Amino acid sequence: MEGRPADDSELISRALRGESAAYEEIVQRYQQVAFRTAYVVTGSAADAEDAAQEGFVKAFRALDRFRIGADLRPWLLRIVANEARNRVRSSGRRHHLELRLTEGFRPGDAAPSPEAVAVASDERRRLLDLVNSLSEEDRMVIASRYFLELSGEETAAALGIPEGTVKSRLSRALARLRARVEEAASA
Amino acid sequence: MPESELLEQQLIQLGRAVDWPATPRLRVEIPVLGRREGRGEGRPAWLDALLGSPWGRPVAVAVAALLIVAITLTAYTPSREAIANWINLHVNIQRVQQLPTPSPLPSGTLGSELGLGLPYTLEGAQNLVKWQITVPADLGRPDAVYVRTLPEGGEVTLVYARAPGIPVAGQTGVAVLVTEVRGAVRADYFSKMLGPDTTIEQVLVRGRSGYWVAGSPHIFMFQDASGQPYPDTLRLATNTLIFDSGNGTITRIEAYTSKERAIQIANSLPER
Repeated sequence: MEGRPADDSELISRALRGESAAYEEIVQRYQQVAFRTAYVVTGSAADAEDAAQEGFVKAFRALDRFRIGADLRPWLLRIVANEARNRVRSSGRRHHLELRLTEGFRPGDAAPSPEAVAVASDERRRLLDLVNSLSEEDRMVIASRYFLELSGEETAAALGIPEGTVKSRLSRALARLRARVEEAASA
Repeated sequence: MPESELLEQQLIQLGRAVDWPATPRLRVEIPVLGRREGRGEGRPAWLDALLGSPWGRPVAVAVAALLIVAITLTAYTPSREAIANWINLHVNIQRVQQLPTPSPLPSGTLGSELGLGLPYTLEGAQNLVKWQITVPADLGRPDAVYVRTLPEGGEVTLVYARAPGIPVAGQTGVAVLVTEVRGAVRADYFSKMLGPDTTIEQVLVRGRSGYWVAGSPHIFMFQDASGQPYPDTLRLATNTLIFDSGNGTITRIEAYTSKERAIQIANSLPER
């Protein structure tokens, strides 16, 4: 067992036996995707942090109701996203989700020529501007599905809608984005 | 590649270049009280039965009160000796004067070792409770904010590392704690829980009745939002101003300071 990271079911069983380190490992494993999902929902890093934190506490309290063998990630994301939505609802305000690009390429990317970097950055920036110009609903479904690379089930959990609605909403959002891309290209 | 797939691929690539806010290291404090509430695991069956019965809570409160009295009596040397004589224990109890030693300031978030709950931003804490959290203008924005889900309705604590004219409590690194909780002050509840090294004085705070507890109080018993007595721990075990702050909320100000200074801080709270 040494050297192999424990799988989720093993960590859950250990956490249920009162091993707090096992739950801490679950938190570490999923805190990034949970925080980013909450950020997509709230549009605020501070609210996302609070929502993710409270979501993990609630998940711990509900851990004995989790069906062992089921996928942990969508279950956790549902709880965190619910918490994030509750915060938006109770405060009566939602921050505008505005996404930005990192400067330059990430480590591990093939080293491109300076011209290629400039062109790629410019294309990305334009595409992101077009995504940012979409409605909140379209932006959230695109950010969840493509930027966070959540599955259909996880996107449904994050947005609090049925999986079937994710497909139709995504399809409409992509159609609107495509139209804007074509419009921008012909301008 | 079809055009629709191409756009999807571009979006995935774009997502990998998005500048997300840095993921904070989440500090998930495992809530002991909520840990096995669902199944009653980790708790003896007799305790479950006691808490589940209609008279369980008063009995639990009475047992807690007896324990506190017993601990106070045994901590107080003369009564410890009297108890030893009474039960015919022929032992010599030596008085050893323990001089306080300076402790290093704790590491981590300010107040994290005081059991105040989970840390939040002020705005995040406001989203969790139903009342308007008030911040004393005299102290300004707190250095840390904590929220507990218990007692019923929640408890919010504002933590200050520094306050004009108030020394920092060496062991905690905290100067002032301002705690707000749902409930009502009942002097008949908490006066019985205070030790002999503590005095209570009734005071007027913003036109409302309040209490100045001087000395080393450890427990503050009040009536929680459900109307039940609730024993809460005073974290700094020092002079404490307690008063009804309106809208069914109690405020406590704990600090190594004078009554006048504590009332001054209380008076700088915005009116609800």
